[in-house]
Amino acid sequence: MSGVGMNDRGLLPIPVPSIETQAFWDAAQERRLVMPKCSNCGAYRFPPSVACHVCESEDVAWVEVSGRGKVFSFVVYRRAYRSAFKDKLPYVLAIIELEEGPRIPSNVIGIPVDDVVCEMPVTVVFEEVRDGFLIPKFTPRS
Amino acid sequence: MIANNYAIAGTATSDLGRTGMDSLALLEQAMRRAVKDAGLKIADVDGLICRGPDDVYTHHQRMGARLGINARYSTSLGNGGASQILAVITAAMAIDAGLCSTVVCGYGRNSWSRTHARDTARTAMGTMAEEQLPTEFAPEYGWFGAPATHALGARRHMFEYGTTREHFAHVAMSFREHALRNPDAVMKKPMSLEDYFEQRMIVEPYGLFDCSLESDGAGAVVVTSAKRARHLRQPPAYIKGFGTFNNLSGWLLDDHMFKTAAIESGKTAFAMAHLTPKDVDTAQIYDCFTGMVIAQLEDYGFCPKGEGGPFVQSGALKIGGVLPTNTSGGQLSEAHVEGMLQIVEGVRQLRHQYPAERQVPGAEIALVSGHGGNTVCHSTLILGRSA
Repeated sequence: MSGVGMNDRGLLPIPVPSIETQAFWDAAQERRLVMPKCSNCGAYRFPPSVACHVCESEDVAWVEVSGRGKVFSFVVYRRAYRSAFKDKLPYVLAIIELEEGPRIPSNVIGIPVDDVVCEMPVTVVFEEVRDGFLIPKFTPRS
Repeated sequence: MIANNYAIAGTATSDLGRTGMDSLALLEQAMRRAVKDAGLKIADVDGLICRGPDDVYTHHQRMGARLGINARYSTSLGNGGASQILAVITAAMAIDAGLCSTVVCGYGRNSWSRTHARDTARTAMGTMAEEQLPTEFAPEYGWFGAPATHALGARRHMFEYGTTREHFAHVAMSFREHALRNPDAVMKKPMSLEDYFEQRMIVEPYGLFDCSLESDGAGAVVVTSAKRARHLRQPPAYIKGFGTFNNLSGWLLDDHMFKTAAIESGKTAFAMAHLTPKDVDTAQIYDCFTGMVIAQLEDYGFCPKGEGGPFVQSGALKIGGVLPTNTSGGQLSEAHVEGMLQIVEGVRQLRHQYPAERQVPGAEIALVSGHGGNTVCHSTLILGRSA
């Protein structure tokens, strides 16, 4: 919490995928939001795991989801704890509950930060971090 | 049968605040003081349970080396802020299993010195090792640090139940009032509602006074059999009940953000102790952030779910209120030692050792809570003045 940290290199952070999350970020570069779905019982899960939490099947596929969801909760940053985020202030960090069930962290954009509320319907948009790398964010849906 | 057959026989804190000391040295200081407080010598200790900092490998070995002892049982725990109570629980279980007889438990951190003592330290980000920071699904969205993680829970609590920042303020103000009566507490100035609202936002809805302190400190306790404790220097604090519950599936899942693992952990502890929330004279609640105090008070059943805001606003948490809580000032105003000082304070209240302004009159039962890993892991300890 003490401000600029030693991992602050002045650049907006680009996600560093693991072997298990590579498919998520690859799809994002094609402006597709994908989630791991059990091929046996159809349950979604996130983050990725070896087997389904419902039926324990290890058969899984990354499938495209609707991109629709709602704001489960959110906070507002009015101070930058990494210098790269200074230009983003104020910004909303939110937990988005997708229609398909999983909850993922993201930003809510395209709306004044003071107008964001819990349960607000949102839809996915893809925004460039830098160097052409896209990440999913969410914007209000009427 | 563990309940009532084991006790905390000694307890102590290290120097607190801005010490310039290493976290291991702080813990050594607290452990030596706790053993002395019990009227024992370090050579009498045959068990040692402690925890991190998380980047110290086999932490208990380092502490044993500092104390100059071998141990019949020792380990370091990894449940974050829930580890400190878990150490006491594990100590009682280890003694009960016949592994050892006298266990020193403790935790220390030097959050202030680590980030302020030297110029080079100033650039370090908090207390977490760089390798432990997430590299995806957080930093790219500007999600940094525990305050934001907990503020997400606070926001949802506000949405579900109408809890307000003014409610949060009453948690902070109640504990500050207690800190002013504790000469060892880091925070020395009174706090008004205006003072609370004037502070800068850390991450909305949390402002500066919603967040626990960055301070140095350690605490330690000595656990032994009740039979033995009765013959030692101090009045024993009997271990009447304990519980644990860990919402391992995650902070973001289900209702975990605003209905914590204290629900199940508390049920287990109260059942073991054959007690109810009404029997508790003082609560020492893990107060990493103000909103988490409100959620836990509800989850333990000290008030109905969703009514924690009005409960704390009524003055319930102050000495003289219906549930004097964090009577030494807590992590918000005394020092943030990840729940260890809550155990120390619970024991001290049951010894009736304080001057009247700090003492919960006639305290017989103390409940102590601890949680960690961003409030996923939870531990509960119920202590009593009599077995």
